[in-house]
Amino acid sequence: MSDEPVDVLIVGAGASGAAMAWSLADTRMKILCLEQGDWMDPASYPSASADWELRRFGDFGLSPNHRGRREDYPINDSESPIAVSNFNAVGGSTILYAAHFPRWHPSDFKVKTLDGVADDWPLDYERLEPYYVQNDRMMGVSGLAGDPAYPPKQMPLPPVSLGKLGHTLARGFNKLGWHWWPSDSAIATQAYEGRAPCINLGPCIMGCAQGAKASTDVTYWPAALRAGVELRTRSRVREITIAENGMADGVIYYDADGVERKQKAEVVVLACNGIGTPRLLLNSRSKLFPDGLANRSGLVGKNLMFHPYAMVIGLFDEPLEGYKGPTGCCIMSQEFYETDPTRGFVRGYSFEILRGMAPVATALWGMSLGRIPWGAEHHRAYADLFDRTAGMVVICEDLPESHNRVTLDPDLVDSDGIPAPKVTYRLSENSTKMLEHCVARAEEVLEASGARSTTAEAPLRPAGWHLMGTARMGTDSSKSVVNEWGRSHDVPNLFIIDGSIFVTAAAVNPTCTIQALTLYIADMIKKNLANLFD
Amino acid sequence: MSEDASDPGFTDDEERALSAVLDEIIPPSSDGRFPGAGELGLSRYIEQTQRRNPDLGPVIQQGLSAIDDLACSRSPQGFSALSKQDRLDVLNELASTQPGFFPSLIFHTYVGYYQNDRVVEALGLEARPPFPKGYEMEANDFTLLDGVRQRPKLYRVW
Repeated sequence: MSDEPVDVLIVGAGASGAAMAWSLADTRMKILCLEQGDWMDPASYPSASADWELRRFGDFGLSPNHRGRREDYPINDSESPIAVSNFNAVGGSTILYAAHFPRWHPSDFKVKTLDGVADDWPLDYERLEPYYVQNDRMMGVSGLAGDPAYPPKQMPLPPVSLGKLGHTLARGFNKLGWHWWPSDSAIATQAYEGRAPCINLGPCIMGCAQGAKASTDVTYWPAALRAGVELRTRSRVREITIAENGMADGVIYYDADGVERKQKAEVVVLACNGIGTPRLLLNSRSKLFPDGLANRSGLVGKNLMFHPYAMVIGLFDEPLEGYKGPTGCCIMSQEFYETDPTRGFVRGYSFEILRGMAPVATALWGMSLGRIPWGAEHHRAYADLFDRTAGMVVICEDLPESHNRVTLDPDLVDSDGIPAPKVTYRLSENSTKMLEHCVARAEEVLEASGARSTTAEAPLRPAGWHLMGTARMGTDSSKSVVNEWGRSHDVPNLFIIDGSIFVTAAAVNPTCTIQALTLYIADMIKKNLANLFD
Repeated sequence: MSEDASDPGFTDDEERALSAVLDEIIPPSSDGRFPGAGELGLSRYIEQTQRRNPDLGPVIQQGLSAIDDLACSRSPQGFSALSKQDRLDVLNELASTQPGFFPSLIFHTYVGYYQNDRVVEALGLEARPPFPKGYEMEANDFTLLDGVRQRPKLYRVW
């Protein structure tokens, strides 16, 4: 069966695919997006049900290996200390993300020049800045102007609530004289473009029933669909097909009934994240590309970067109302962001203040640490922890290393029989030193905030949210997979727009940079339409 | 009553024994604010949980048999007839001999207990899911940023 050819075929309807679809829609080209997941129903999100805390162990868990949804594909992460966390649906992983939306620093694009490691990006902060602004407006980002850690910027909406917990930690940072600032968050703190304002539900990372969080199913997609883009759900792409002239000419995919279909296209855009994109390229082998499509450099799947995370939890004497408010983005500190050679490592990290724990999470956390026993001491021990915890994660910059990679698993397949990805990853010495440093500093600031004790975990295994570097961009085709505007060096009508194309990882959440980069690439495509394949 | 006609669920004896076990895992609080997990009827929750998780059923059944064996070696009337000390002795022995069952039972007991309306209210919270009512939070105090605003640029320029 063959479907009507389209001008642009986008694979993946997450953060980047949605932004690309919306931006290209004004060209009036025929644009189709294939997404292996389906539309989510916000009414079914956990925060609307009494057993909401339990569902993070089930259908709204972070790992595709544990969720067991048909829309997900398995990932072999047994050879990595960090496990991949993602989601497959219209909106992709933005359905589950915390909506923490910090931009990159100007220095993040110049790490080779400034610190002598990795590589510089083929573009810079100034180039992306207008696209950051455009994306902030489309996603509806909240924040506060005046942060000395960034060049001047203005968010469309006021910051999220800090709450008692956030104010407590802010005083701790002040006591040490360390930087902190209300987080930029892709959360509507006021009614915005048809979205209801945040009402501090808490579990943003299990979907936002209120619709305040900017997952792309409620931001870019409604606008893209109104502009004429077609979105075909439950359509899982197996491989990209190649014509004799070496150009991509479409894809083979499985529809909702598992039937194999072909879709022809003039331009193919991959937006499948840093795991899904190399998986698809490596599974698209042909005579012209025996090692995988667009892989003449041999770099597809290599240089995988996560953000090594530490989680540090402080235990306080006073109630903190930590079960209220957006989970993942309260305040941020970049006191240790830029390189300081005296610390014994290059690059740096950000502190991100989370919230506390709700009743079930408190019980299970206390159980896992042996601090809430069964029996006579149970109630006393539980009361000692409940609503007395403040969580903090530290997000460390990872550096690209070719041995950290994504390959195809020889045995594991998804529900359509497509080979699953395998992640092989180990922490670098630089990351290990950085984690040690950041945990000590996190404990210091929690104690300055009044914590009577702290508990740390580093690296945090389920923290593989940020998937970067596996099809890196650059101007040299022997050292990169795509050029400075996302076009494959090897296949001129193939574009990649997700985190795969990142050259380095910075030390902040990547979604707003992925989307700004996507909008930039979309603009470059539009500006070069007349000779796009030259 | 089982939802599945082919699965009769716990027998009366099993339910009685399990309720007594649950009351040892989370006993009533001394001030009377918090009920015991057995008194709360969590045996029914455990039964529903094992029905939803096919892998869990055999573990629970095997664990309950082990409790019964240990208890009957002390009293033919089973666990619920044991003295407080004997109950604790049985459970401590169970913890060392049934490493799959006992942590799993504690996990599900904690989950069921702390999402129960009576317990949530005893914690001082409203017994409801977060949505649609949400939560009020205190107003942001950005005077706390006064010192931070005075700092020079923290980002590198070159």
